[in-house]
Amino acid sequence: MKMKHLKGIALAAAAVVGLAACGGSSSSTDTTAAAGGDYSNLKVAVVYIGVPGDAGYTYQHDQGIAELEAELGITVTRLENIPEGAESAATFDQLASEGYNLIFGTSFGYMDPMIETAAKYPNVCFEHATGYKTAPNMGTYFGAAEEARYLSGIAAGAASKSGKLGYVAAFPIPEVVRGLNAFTLGARSVNPKATVQVAWTSTWFDPAKEKEAAQSLLQAGADVLGMHQDSTATGEAAMEAGAKWVGYNSDTKAGDFPDTWLTAPIWDWGPYYIKAAKSFATGTCLAGDSGQYYGNMADGTVKLGTFGSSVTAETQALIAEKTAAIIDGSFAPFTGPIKDNTGKEVIAAGVVAPLGDLLGMQYLVEGVIGEIPKS
Amino acid sequence: MIIGNFRIELEPRLSSPKWLYLAVPAGSLVFAFIVGGIFLALTGHSPIGTYGSLISHGYTSSKGITNTLGLATPLICTGLAAAFAFRMNLFNIGEEGQMYLGMIGSAWAGIALAGHLPHVLAVPTVLIIGAATGAFWVLLPAILRAKLGTSEIVSTLLLNYVALNLVNYFIYGSRGFFRDPTTSFPQGRGVEETARFHSFGTSNTYPTVIIAVLLAVALYWFMKRSNFGYETSVFADSPNTARYAGMNATKLTLSVLLFSGALAGLAGAMYVVGPAGKVDPGLLQIGLGYAGIVVAALARYNFVAVVLTAILFAGLRVGGASLQISSNPVPIAIAVVLQGSVLLFALGGEIFRRNRLRIRRVQQVSVAS
Repeated sequence: MKMKHLKGIALAAAAVVGLAACGGSSSSTDTTAAAGGDYSNLKVAVVYIGVPGDAGYTYQHDQGIAELEAELGITVTRLENIPEGAESAATFDQLASEGYNLIFGTSFGYMDPMIETAAKYPNVCFEHATGYKTAPNMGTYFGAAEEARYLSGIAAGAASKSGKLGYVAAFPIPEVVRGLNAFTLGARSVNPKATVQVAWTSTWFDPAKEKEAAQSLLQAGADVLGMHQDSTATGEAAMEAGAKWVGYNSDTKAGDFPDTWLTAPIWDWGPYYIKAAKSFATGTCLAGDSGQYYGNMADGTVKLGTFGSSVTAETQALIAEKTAAIIDGSFAPFTGPIKDNTGKEVIAAGVVAPLGDLLGMQYLVEGVIGEIPKS
Repeated sequence: MIIGNFRIELEPRLSSPKWLYLAVPAGSLVFAFIVGGIFLALTGHSPIGTYGSLISHGYTSSKGITNTLGLATPLICTGLAAAFAFRMNLFNIGEEGQMYLGMIGSAWAGIALAGHLPHVLAVPTVLIIGAATGAFWVLLPAILRAKLGTSEIVSTLLLNYVALNLVNYFIYGSRGFFRDPTTSFPQGRGVEETARFHSFGTSNTYPTVIIAVLLAVALYWFMKRSNFGYETSVFADSPNTARYAGMNATKLTLSVLLFSGALAGLAGAMYVVGPAGKVDPGLLQIGLGYAGIVVAALARYNFVAVVLTAILFAGLRVGGASLQISSNPVPIAIAVVLQGSVLLFALGGEIFRRNRLRIRRVQQVSVAS
């Protein structure tokens, strides 16, 4: 993902002026007196893989943390740019040893370091986004982005004239594959002949590489792009080529893409952060069911972002209808019959794929042009 | 340079007095902290308080120093790897990739072999195989350099990217030997318990730190006392003299580069034996291989000094990140600026060791009118 640190050090002296501008982001909140309820026993920290300035994944988490601060009248300590891997164990250890008792980690690679630190500090509550390992004092939280992915796929399918869509994707892991498949199912629900070509970047946040991947898809004939990355580089490539695109994580940059923006699946972490903190304040770690919280559109963790001007009223009405059906539970994107892209049936007619299957998804649905590693 | 009535000049020193070897780095540090302090004050942070926190989180508190030693352990190895090659004017820039290969090789040994071995044999086996795979990764650049004179800078650097993609492929792109078969999440397969060290107490420091320090001392002694050490130093000063004296340049080049690669591979192996216990793509984000080059340069390629500069560097990293734990947090960007200024001044200070600063009064020539 990044060799950022050394580069950072080499460039540090030159970058002094530039950094001063973005340096203030994490110190914007001053200590405020507890408003309503007693949360004085809470000492909350959150560890980010990136910076809120990414306008994507970390930005949305930071918005959620800000909601938590406002709701409980507390100040949360934010740690930015903490690399994954064993080095992050030092960070979590340091936090726990300084009395932080509710610690959120937002990146998959923090999982093992958090599990190890949780074992050392049984009275500290750890909450890890996107992972699967739990402990008596460590829970996981994530959500059904695939619901909003499906809806964004409808917008993409309806916007495509050529029927050729492209998708810039990070890594061929279940989370990304699930989103790609849902996007494709959505697109083909309105444009049955549509295909989605996928380009893997092997990185979560590398705007230059993402842009290149997006350009290669556009050159191959795609006129609408989707993406699963932390930056908005795909959108820049699409805008330069006059193609439409679907974002991810956040819609805060929608205004920068006046004619080409369609919509985006977005996260709203605030309600979960508030729930977890309130629960822990009354003595219960793990706000989720059995320590594994999987939010969705019904509880508001997952949303569909604002529509761009090129999404027709007709498409918006269709999406609104599907949204209502997803929220009331009468529709799920992964409902059979669904075939994979080799023609094999993976979900039988009328069957709704259970969550466990979704979480381990290892196939690409019909219509996706691309491959993932087989076991 | 002329300022007012003074001419300021740098004169090369014929020989540097001993005390300068300590005074210059120490002075550079003080200067870096002053410049960083001005920057901190301008951004609304107390310089004294921030430095106190940095030093406590990075070095003096028990949590701080054990976290720092844990990070410094592989860094000592990559620093030694860089120092070893650079001393002979062989610029191995590939420590990063060689370290990844060391991680892959040692994880293979930890999964495939360690189960059949007792703990006392398993850990050394895993470390040695990690070192061997690190050396393997520099084999091609070493042969190209020794036989054809091809620049090892470019070839070792490019192989870093190959190694990076290899790790990504093993964990994200395939479901082979190195992937944890029990989950569909992209995780490395854990090595056998016999192949791992426990950390000291509840700290993040592992016994591998002792191996790394002993290795530095042993290298220092070996390169001072052995024939091999003598030959490499002659070769570094003057390749032609070395050839004239009948030394085998090809053999020396090959052996120095391969041993450098082995040291970098050992860094990856120590990461597996210690905190990671698997092929962990998190290592790709820490940049300890590239940092090893900086550490070696700061230590002026002295093996014992590498230990100290690795600890200095790791402490800046650990302490810098911890500066965010505060009611008036210092953003990570400012922490990186602090780290950068320390390194910049420490390297820049070299100029004052090599040169003498002369300030002379310039005679003003007045022309009578």
